[in-house]
Parts: sequence; C-alpha cells; structure tokens
Amino acid sequence: MPATRLSSMRILAALALGIWAILLSCFPAMGKFPEKPITVIVPFAAGGGSDVFARIFQEAIRKNELCPQPLVVKNVAGAGGTIGSRAAREAEPDGHVILCLHDGIYTAQHYGNADWGPADFEPIAATGRSGVVVAVSQDSPYDSLDDLMKEAVRRPYQLVFGTNLGAPNHYSALFLQEGKPGAKFRFTQTGGGAKRLAQLKGGHVDLTGFSIAEYEQFKATGIKALATLSQKREPSFPALPTAKEQGVDAVHGLMQFWWAPKGTPADRLAYLENLLRQAMETDMVRERLANLHMDPVLQVGETLLETVARRSANLEGITIEKPTPLPPLQWMILGVVGVCAILVWREGKNA
Amino acid sequence: MEGREERMIQLFSDPLILGLVLLGTVLGITVGAIPGLTGTMLIALSLPLTFSMEPVAGLVLLVAMYVGAVSGGLISATLLRMPGTPAAVMTTLDGYPMAASGRPGRALGLGVGASLAGGLVSWVALWQLSEPMADWSTKLGPFELFSLVVLALAMLAGVGDSTRARGLLAGSLGVLVAMPGMHPATGELRWTFGMTSMNEGFRLIPVLIGMFAIGKILDDLAGRGGEVEKVSGGDSAWIPLVQWRRHLGNLIRSSGIGTLIGVLPGVGANIGSLAAYMAAKRASSQPKEFGKGSEEGIVASEAANNATVGGALIPLIALGVPGSVIGAVLLGALIVHGLQPGPLLFRQNPEAVHAIIGTVLAANLMMYLLMLGGARWIARLSAVPKVILFPLVTACCIWGAYALNSLWFDVGVMLVFGVVGWRMEKARLPLAAFVIGFVLAPVAEENLCAGLMASGGSYAPLITRPISLGFLAIAAILLFRKKKGSANKP
Repeated sequence: MPATRLSSMRILAALALGIWAILLSCFPAMGKFPEKPITVIVPFAAGGGSDVFARIFQEAIRKNELCPQPLVVKNVAGAGGTIGSRAAREAEPDGHVILCLHDGIYTAQHYGNADWGPADFEPIAATGRSGVVVAVSQDSPYDSLDDLMKEAVRRPYQLVFGTNLGAPNHYSALFLQEGKPGAKFRFTQTGGGAKRLAQLKGGHVDLTGFSIAEYEQFKATGIKALATLSQKREPSFPALPTAKEQGVDAVHGLMQFWWAPKGTPADRLAYLENLLRQAMETDMVRERLANLHMDPVLQVGETLLETVARRSANLEGITIEKPTPLPPLQWMILGVVGVCAILVWREGKNA
Repeated sequence: MEGREERMIQLFSDPLILGLVLLGTVLGITVGAIPGLTGTMLIALSLPLTFSMEPVAGLVLLVAMYVGAVSGGLISATLLRMPGTPAAVMTTLDGYPMAASGRPGRALGLGVGASLAGGLVSWVALWQLSEPMADWSTKLGPFELFSLVVLALAMLAGVGDSTRARGLLAGSLGVLVAMPGMHPATGELRWTFGMTSMNEGFRLIPVLIGMFAIGKILDDLAGRGGEVEKVSGGDSAWIPLVQWRRHLGNLIRSSGIGTLIGVLPGVGANIGSLAAYMAAKRASSQPKEFGKGSEEGIVASEAANNATVGGALIPLIALGVPGSVIGAVLLGALIVHGLQPGPLLFRQNPEAVHAIIGTVLAANLMMYLLMLGGARWIARLSAVPKVILFPLVTACCIWGAYALNSLWFDVGVMLVFGVVGWRMEKARLPLAAFVIGFVLAPVAEENLCAGLMASGGSYAPLITRPISLGFLAIAAILLFRKKKGSANKP
C-alpha cells in the first residue's frame, strides 16, 4: 500500500526532523557565544537604582528575544560596590560574566576604597547618562548656588554636605569646591539617596547631591534644587540653572557603564556591545530611561574609550581632604570587652 | 480619600489577589521558619518573577512574603531555639523554655496571637498616621540614632536570665566581632588580616545561624544538654480571649514600640523587639520569669517584631522613599513596571497604596489562621528525631549561608561561629545579647561617625540635643541602678 508506505515514510521523516530539532535546541549553536546564561553583576542591593537599571535591560533583551541565552542579574552588594566589582574582575574572561557599574568604578579607586579601576576591565558600552543636582531643604536660607558657594568661601568647612564618601555623589561636591576657589564644605557620611533625603529634611545636613531621577522622586517632600551640574540645563527641569551659569565651574554627571573582565575576546565584546545597542533601541528601554530622567546616550568603540580616559583624567586634579578624625572605636570596644570580662570573672569568684 | 476602603475591599475580593496573599504568606512563613533562609532572600529571588505580573499583584505577593517571613521566625525560635530570622532572636529567650517544658502549643499560640496584634496595630498606623510618623522619623539625626542604639545596648544587660555583667560581656563581644571589615562611615578597611574576603566583615546570616543553629547541634552532638526536650506536643495553641485580657497592656505597648522603631532606618525589628521585651520586663509583676519561659516575654517580642513591618513601610507610603530593605525592593519593582517613583507615585497610582496597606492586613490575618490552624502539626516539629532534623537543619544552614552571596567564606564563618556559640552557651553568656550587639554595632558606629563629621568632631550634641540626652539618661539608669530584689551583686 503505497499510501501507507508514503505516510509511514513521512512519519519517519517528521520524527527524524523532530529529533534533529530537539537535538538542536539542546545544544544551541554549540561552541558559539553565548553558550550559557550571561551573568550581569550589579554591585548594589536588589531594588536600588543600579539594580533597576540593569533589570530594565535584562527585561528588554528577554522580551525582544535579542539573545538566545537569558541575562541573569546577580546582586553582589557591599562596601560601596567594590565587592561586586572585584568579583567581576576575578571572573573568567569569557564574556559570560559582565559588570554593570556607573562612575563609582572611577571614584572608588581614586578615593582609595579599591585598588582596581576602569583600567582593569574591558569597557563594553556606556548606556545612559544622568544629571546631578545640588539640593537644600525648602526652608534653607540659600536660594541660589551662588549664595551658597559665597557662604562656603566666607565660612569654609561650616556648611555640612551629606554624601556617600568615595561614591560619585561625593565627587559632585568635590567638583563644586574645585569650581569655586576658596569654597570648602564639611563632608559627612550619610549614605544612599533615601538617607540623604531624610537628613536634609530633618536639618541634619545643609546640602546634598541627588541624581535627577532621585530629585524628581523627592522634590515634593520639601526640598529644592539650586543647580544642576550638567553642561546644559536638564530638559526635565528647564527652569533650573546650571552651576556654570551661576559662576561655579563644575560639571559632573553619572554615566552607566558595562564592563567585561580584562582579556575577554574581542568578538565576544563585539557581541555584547551589539546586544546592548539593540536593547538600547527598544521602546521599552527608551521609555523606562525616560521615566528615570536619563539621557539615552549610547557610547561604544573609540568614543567610549575616550570617555573612559577623560573621566579618569578629570579626577586627577581632585584633592581629597580626609574628614574629621574619628575615634578608634574598635580599640575602645576591646577595652569594654575587657572590663566586662573582669566583671564576669569577679562575679564568678563571688558566687 | 473617600472610597479607599471600598477599593481595598474590591481589590481583596479578587480570588487571584487572595491566592497571591496566601502563596506569599505561606512561602514567607516557610523561609522565616527555616534557619538559614530569610525573607529578604526570598523577596530578592521573587522580584524578577513579579516583573511579568501586574504591578499590584506583584506588590501583594512581595508584601505578603515580608509579613509571613517576620512571623515564621517564631516557629523555629520557639520549638528549636533557632531563630529563623534575626527579628525572632528575642523570642528564643522565653518561647523555647516554655516549649521545652511541655507547652509548645501554648508558646506558639502566644507568639502567633501577639504577632497578629502587632501586625494590626502597625497596620492602623500605616493606614492613618503614616505622614506624621515619617516626618517625626526625619527629626532623629545621627546623634539621636546613636544614643538610641546605646540605649538598646544597655538593655542587653538585662537580657535572658543571666546576670548584668554576662549580658554586657556577650553584647560587647558581639560589637567587637562586628568590627572587622569596611568602616561603616569612612569605608576604610580594618582588622581584615589582609584577606579580601574579610573586607565586608562577617555577615549577619552566617553569624546568626552559626551561633544558634550550628551551635545547638554541636551542643547536642557533644552529648550534653538537650535532655529537657521531651516535648509532649499535646497542648492546645488556642488561647481564649479571656486569657488575652491579661496581656492587653503588654500587647498595646509592645506593638506601639515596634511600630515607632520600625519607622527608623536601619534599626528595625531587632531594637523593636528588644525594647518591647525590656519594657515588658520592667512593667511585669514577675520580672524573674523572663528568660525562663515567661508568657509576657513571648508576647512582647512577637508583637513588636510584627509591628515593625508596618512601621518600615511608612516612609514608602508617606514620602515614596524606601525606609528599609523591603521598601527598596518594592520601589524597584514599581520602577521596573514603568511607574514613576516619588511621593506623587501614590497619588497617581492609589491602587499601589491600597495593595500595600491592604496586604499588610490581609497577610497578617492569613498568617494567624495558617499558623494557628497548623500549630498542632507545627508543634510536632520538636518531636522529630534529631537524627533526621539536624542533618536537614545543617543542610539548610549551609545552603542559606552560601546562597547569600555565593561565597564559601560565609559557610566557613557560619561553622566557626557555630563553635563560638556552643562555647558561649557553655560559659552561660546569652547568645541573643551577642547577636543584637553584632547587629547594632555598625548602626551605632555609622551614626556616631556621621554625627562627628557633621559637628566637626564635637561630642557636645550628644547631650545638648534633648532626645539624644533622654536616651542616654535612660541607658545610664539601666546600667548603674542597683538591681532590685537580688542581693547578691552590685
């Protein structure tokens, strides 16, 4: 029966095809990068700005099927991002582990929190820039950056600037000082955006810096921005003058970079660069970055290398004065432990 | 805001939403109860899963997990003396002795009921008082927070049934162990002995589960201790309303303390339950029972730690800024869903607020029903032979310590602190005091240093700022007053 034979042949063929398809899907593009999920190390806690930023790309790449393998965001938080950046630096340089880290990679090295920096990585791309603003409390006596900086010259080391020491936020303030000869702030360790807001509102610090996204988020709670440190006025806040307009020669901003461990092969870097470029072009990434008030800039290749070199060079002129000397608490605690131990020992003897 | 209640009722009449509350609460209780796994871990792992959900559904799931996890900690704290979450440390002090004396059902019942009361009180605060409370919390600056922590450390002197000196020694050892690693204010490294894995210092979870879980197992393996554990498991967890009347004052006080302290950033559940516990001990007519299976002790600790949940969400509701780890994760979830963060977020998306506030209520009720209904079976946990239980617990601990940051170093830390915990127990040094000292040390140091940097090195604000002075004065009274009743020691 030719008809049956034909159909059984067909079935066989279909089976063979099916098996082949299954085999193919089991070994997708054997030996071709990426062979396994790409881990994106985010050196900050889940839910923070950098985490959200990386997850937007992860989600856009997944939804638009830009990559045969998923991106996996891994939060390696702690020590101002240096724990995660070290983990990425020490990872196998095969393109399966990359790092998503903003200007913190430059400032941590410059401040001395890390003895590695951008030169220890291969930059893949910069995808998005965020402006920063200087903000004071609503009832602060200063209504312009000019007023405030004059005060910082007249009474150096009196205005308290709430920062995250060694983080880009601290460097925004250092750039401000450089831009107004004679101006000096008193720096205090305050922490992340939410903590800086609370301390500003409570009057515990005189001024602080926020990213545009943070400022947009916080502005209705009773704070006011005096200036942006961008080159030009921010499109989201056209009424807010730049520092330069107010006679303070300071320009600073936050760029989001993607890094691969040193020694990652060039073709894989090119693949990752292309992946990020495609993600950047999706509507999802554009919309989400707009929500975060980030410029959707994309820098790769030569431009990227120039940016990296320039950002490192910018920091060279910055001098850091160590903040107020702090008591050696660890030794005091050791003393307390000793006293308590003696008390316990006496107690044991008397009992 | 009219119609808020109706919209909330409408939201929670959706079977899908109710299902998510159930799922989140069950998962939360489970990880909360397993030593080594924590709610923060569960929430961080589930965050990506919520991206494919509706924003409201995702928020409901995450908040339910948070409530469940804080509550679940009391199970292992009571039955095994292994706090499943840091928030349950104080519950081990009285929950376990009561369970070990043959009343595990009652111990669970008290803990679960108090958790519900704490949850409800903080829910009311979250619902009605979030704005004034968020404003109040910003009034407390670095000096006030430092003094508050000093007060909490002074309270350690009275923890458990040990003497004042032993409580202080254990607490200050905990502070000492928190010293290695990065300086919380300046970022400088200290006492790392040149090991890069020490840069972050010892992490809380490995230390906590090492001290309590591994330490307990070592103790049992060494053949001593543990004879008391002939738990009958037959008593009922149901506590009639009449019997709760005796605890009414304690419930209200502890829930209030928990809610207030929960609002403060970074201080959270630990100080909340410690402060409520000590306040209950002061107010009690039988303070000597504390640490030996006091009903009041269990009630105070559990009411307070559940009350911190609502407190911790207040900055998020009132200001649109994260005041806690869970707040940060929830905010992140909103942003990924494309909602605009900020105080207006909740005006523009009121359904998000309703989801969060409603879930705190719904998940607390769900937790109560689940845990009370399951108490009979849960209580049998303590009757599981150790040959089965301990390897399981050990495996969970190792997994939990490793999963935290995928570092074997953390597993090593856990094992080392297992030995430390075992030896401290032998020396009659209260582990709870050690762990609380360890948790609070970085908070104290960060705030003191931030304050000193802001004041230009002057310590004066510690006593010139009235709230700070008040905290320090109470701390001094706690430390130096003569112990009433006990004639043995100065």
